[in-house]
Amino acid sequence: MGAVLGIVIKGFLVQQVTLGLASFCTWVERKGSALIQDRVGANRAGTNLYVGEFLKTDVFLLKPFAFIVRNLLLRPAFAVFRFLGSIGVINTLLNDALKALLKEDFVPAGTNLFLHALGPFMAVFPVFLAFGVIPLAPDVQIFDTVIRFQVAEISTGLLFLLAMGSIAVYGVVIAGWTGNNKFSLLGALRAAAQMISYELAMGVVFATVVLHFGTFDLYRVIEMQGGSIANWGVFFMFPTGFLCFLILFIVGMAETKRGPFDLPESESELVAGYFTEYSGMKFLLFWLGEFAEIALFAIVLATFFFGGWHIPFVEFPAGEWWAALIGHAVFIGKVLFFCVLQITIRWTLPRFRYDQLMNLGWKMLLPLSIVNLIVAAAVKLSL
Amino acid sequence: MNYDYSAYYVLLSLVLFTIGTVGFIVRKNAIVAFMCLELMLNAANIAFVALSRRVGNLDGEIAVFFVMAVAAAEAAVGLAIVIALFRNLETTESSDAMELRL
Amino acid sequence: MPLVFVILSALLIASAVGVILFRNPIHSALCLVVNLVGVACVFAALEAHFLAVVQVIVYAGAIMVLVVFVLMLLNSKTEERTLSGVIQLVLSGIIGGCLVSVVGPFIIEQWPIVAREEPPISGSVEALGKVLYTDYIFPFETAGFLVMAALVAAAMLAKTKGGDPNHPRISEGKNDGTIQAGGEQ
Repeated sequence: MGAVLGIVIKGFLVQQVTLGLASFCTWVERKGSALIQDRVGANRAGTNLYVGEFLKTDVFLLKPFAFIVRNLLLRPAFAVFRFLGSIGVINTLLNDALKALLKEDFVPAGTNLFLHALGPFMAVFPVFLAFGVIPLAPDVQIFDTVIRFQVAEISTGLLFLLAMGSIAVYGVVIAGWTGNNKFSLLGALRAAAQMISYELAMGVVFATVVLHFGTFDLYRVIEMQGGSIANWGVFFMFPTGFLCFLILFIVGMAETKRGPFDLPESESELVAGYFTEYSGMKFLLFWLGEFAEIALFAIVLATFFFGGWHIPFVEFPAGEWWAALIGHAVFIGKVLFFCVLQITIRWTLPRFRYDQLMNLGWKMLLPLSIVNLIVAAAVKLSL
Repeated sequence: MNYDYSAYYVLLSLVLFTIGTVGFIVRKNAIVAFMCLELMLNAANIAFVALSRRVGNLDGEIAVFFVMAVAAAEAAVGLAIVIALFRNLETTESSDAMELRL
Repeated sequence: MPLVFVILSALLIASAVGVILFRNPIHSALCLVVNLVGVACVFAALEAHFLAVVQVIVYAGAIMVLVVFVLMLLNSKTEERTLSGVIQLVLSGIIGGCLVSVVGPFIIEQWPIVAREEPPISGSVEALGKVLYTDYIFPFETAGFLVMAALVAAAMLAKTKGGDPNHPRISEGKNDGTIQAGGEQ
């Protein structure tokens, strides 16, 4: 019973982390793109809506406390909201969500209602599930119980990530098919072809990583990268580890269907690709799933190649709560760095042509990753 | 103390295999027939794993591994054949390809 | 009977029936995906964890995506339900039911439920890998060759012969052996 309760609490917390990371990515996407494109960007909407209107009116039930409420509560709140509004947080996180919730849920004629609702669900579900096997910080020992910051302590965590990555295609495919629309269908076809093609290179890279670490357990993978910076995944058997990182980074951008790889939803050709026929909250779910995927890939990169929660040359005592706290901060910091990096690339590079995309996947990344695997195996054997 | 329920799993495997066979006979669409084949392979896999656990060695699980490899190969070739069929006859129904020539 | 087994077998049988009864091929394919994930759950329940994950990766993640892809590409029509089709279905259903009711009791008799003392073997990655790379190394390599041959065969079969890849019927002309951009991948 206690174990089940613990898993439920951990699952809830991890979901909050996921949503937080996705929200952060949304904000960086909106405000960061404005910075990159030299626009002023989202900077004022929503400032008055939540607090300002209250400040103007005089309708307070507690007349005697009006002065206190106004000056000690509402004015500071107003200042905070105005600051958040000026950096675009209110606009992207509160207003957009509210708008999506209140919008009409449009379903195209002649389609299957159940499948139409299943599409966005399947776009979000596997990504959120994949977060369950990620260990976020070193273990903490409280009295006799050891708490691990990982929802599912399974020994095949790495394979589970791969499995969830391959399930994620269905959301897109179902969405594109139930759109009853040529543009959606074309987007779904492109997405399926692209994701399968790039999954091959991803599988081979994961094999190389497993070859180095010798385990599928993500906690063990991070544990092995402690101590010197030379233990980090990027530096293993020098060129191979770095190549793995490079290939996985490119594959990650292709798997999230963003950046230069956004052919499935290229708005200049296919309106919005596979989610053309979605509106309101269902549309927002695709959006959310996409950003959660970005965060997931950032987490995978930080876990395999950049030492997870480890700071180079710093060893924390095992089982201390403050070590876990610092571990969380370091890990999330690395993840945020990779999120911002991916979004920056997405707003910098132009879109690939379709043949370029396929050539990159099949003729460059796949052979490169296979050669990389063979070299890594040979080096590992000779050591 | 744990109980071994492998008979139930083999029974489930039998039921699934039968459903797959019925589907394979009844359905006309070549791709759906192919999917029923996958259903039958999976039914066999369940029996393999359940009995491998019963017997106490890993041979059954290895067999499942090979079945998966064969299924992957079969999917690639089978779907390519269906595409070739569609290109020549513009149909995916197996009953339309009765003439042993294109 | 364990609860996990009851839930899983209900799911598996329902989705398998869905595969053969839905007239739209895409609905059948999605039912089969549910079935395959259910089989993965059965493997996990039988403590074959590696096989469970590989089942999801290979079947649900690769094979079925390919099938759905082809279904969408060829735009398969919904099958009409004809009288002869219904008769076929009912008859083969009866025969199948007979088969299950005849063979089923033998299965129950053959492997009675026993209590076991020692913990069952677990299909961990290490154990499976050891067996696969020692006792079964030759079949393993053969399987590798088989998949490779299938890959080449599929590429040859699906290849368009020059011309406009969007109109495969106008491809009777010369074969320059190139695959056009945006054509069959």
